Amino acid sequence: MADNAMLDLDKMLLEESAAGTDAAIVMPEQLPQGVETVTAAAENVISETPSLIENPVIAFLCDLLGQLPFETMDYEFMRLALLGLLIIAPMAAICGTQVVNFNMSFFSDAIGHSAFAGVATGLVLAISPDYTMPALALCVGLGIMAVKHRSGLSSDTVIGVMFSTVVAGGLAIVSRYPNAVSNAQMFLYGDILTISERDILLMMGLAVVFMLFQIFSFNKLICIELNPQLAKAHRIKVGVYQYFFAALLSLVVIFSVKAVGVLLVTAMLITPAAAARNLASSYGKMLWLSVIIGVFSAIAGLFLSAQDWMQTSTGATIVLCSCVIFAISLIFRKKKRA
Amino acid sequence: MKLPENHDCKCMNAVVFRDVSVGNNDVKILQNVNAVIPHAGCTAIVGPNGAGKTTLVLALLNETDYTGTIEFCSNRRPRIGYVPQHLAFDRGMPLTVLEFIAAFHQKLPLCFGIRKELKKRLHELLGETGCLHLENRPLGALSGGELQRVMLAGALSQEPELLILDEPASGIDFKGGEVCCELLERFRKTFGFTQLMVTHDLNTVMAHATHVICLNRTLIAEGEPHKVLSDKVLAKAFGPHVGCSCGKDHSNNG
Repeated sequence: MADNAMLDLDKMLLEESAAGTDAAIVMPEQLPQGVETVTAAAENVISETPSLIENPVIAFLCDLLGQLPFETMDYEFMRLALLGLLIIAPMAAICGTQVVNFNMSFFSDAIGHSAFAGVATGLVLAISPDYTMPALALCVGLGIMAVKHRSGLSSDTVIGVMFSTVVAGGLAIVSRYPNAVSNAQMFLYGDILTISERDILLMMGLAVVFMLFQIFSFNKLICIELNPQLAKAHRIKVGVYQYFFAALLSLVVIFSVKAVGVLLVTAMLITPAAAARNLASSYGKMLWLSVIIGVFSAIAGLFLSAQDWMQTSTGATIVLCSCVIFAISLIFRKKKRA
Repeated sequence: MKLPENHDCKCMNAVVFRDVSVGNNDVKILQNVNAVIPHAGCTAIVGPNGAGKTTLVLALLNETDYTGTIEFCSNRRPRIGYVPQHLAFDRGMPLTVLEFIAAFHQKLPLCFGIRKELKKRLHELLGETGCLHLENRPLGALSGGELQRVMLAGALSQEPELLILDEPASGIDFKGGEVCCELLERFRKTFGFTQLMVTHDLNTVMAHATHVICLNRTLIAEGEPHKVLSDKVLAKAFGPHVGCSCGKDHSNNG
């Protein structure tokens, strides 16, 4: 059943890329990634195909990545995918550290699931999902925080309600406009290989804001999540930081959905961090380890999935890589209690 | 108890509670509390369990809704150092003691290390509170008493004008508790902060407090411990079976 779904999805993606939605990469070589049809002849075609990247910065970075001694880097969509992962993976890993330590994995799951409704809304309003998805995620994230602060309900309950609301909303729209399904489904599994230049530009913008916020409030977030009351007594503006964090986490999650899909987005965030938590003896070390594991898994997943003998979905492979590292980390788990 | 009308907050009292009530119409946790916390003294809030001691502190910290007013010296909120009774946190979090205290002071993200000057200052403080050996231990691996000492170091590192301790002796063994109070007295004299502690240990109060607020839902009595904590007041606050345990009878102050 699931296999069929995947096959259908693949077929759909192929059709889509062939039809050329608004994605910048409309390249025939996207289809047979690693399949026998990629022959020397095809490669000639590729090298002659002019680059479709307009932005000079992205073009430069892609060229740089093209210098890597890997055959797969000859394809522009692979270079874009790698660039996208190199931007989103460290952010996901940093967020993951905070999500794991602050017990917010259900929150990120809920945001991930809003992707579906985001796409559906975009299709109904005839706005590109590139904008409606982050917008809806932001609304859901801030909404959860606001309801939690005002209602006195536990965060699990609030998230559960919001979660079902957005999923139900998405399903309702999709069932009303059945033609929307074909587009919405790819977000269930994610596809970093169809990432567009605009996505990367948006991610870069997010990365700048995200890093600035983290530099400014990394320590304060630790204080707040350790014990909000103590933080408040020691003059930290708890509410402001919580809202900003929720907003940025929502955006990071929604862009990670593009990489690994709704089903696996929480895993992409928390698995590297969980592995790091097993190994680290301090918060600082945990953060760096998480970033290293996250980026390594992303790169390894991308390359492995492109191998002739693998031919697996990139998102799933990335998550599997980090899961393997997590399993190894369990073996080397530090004895925490003295 | 009526406060004098020309009560001067500036020189005498760090905090003045006027008609402070907490709770709704059905359930009153605190009712019309009028009390003062003298400047640079050691004030103890005593009372039985459920008397609203912690609630009064929460009102002071602005953590709970209250009616009435809480006035501060020179009309601004003092810098507060706070040691909660229990620190509810994720004990598996790999946060070291040093990182925990540094997080409150350092702007630079902790993952880039702790600044040298700050580290030196924190070392001194941890040494003073007797937990220098814990600096690299994860916060979650500490015992109750150790955690409280670390939190005390954290609160002192705020250079507080008002230090609030909720049940400072509860997590510490008897000897530790004694040391803790002496230490605080020394710090109070050096730094000149106002100390407020919530406790139900009357011995500590008699030994260390300069001012006592006796609560049981409402103010029972207030003033110097030796004058205020009479058998009559204690019976009113704690029930008829608690006499003054101060000095004469240690067996029935549980």
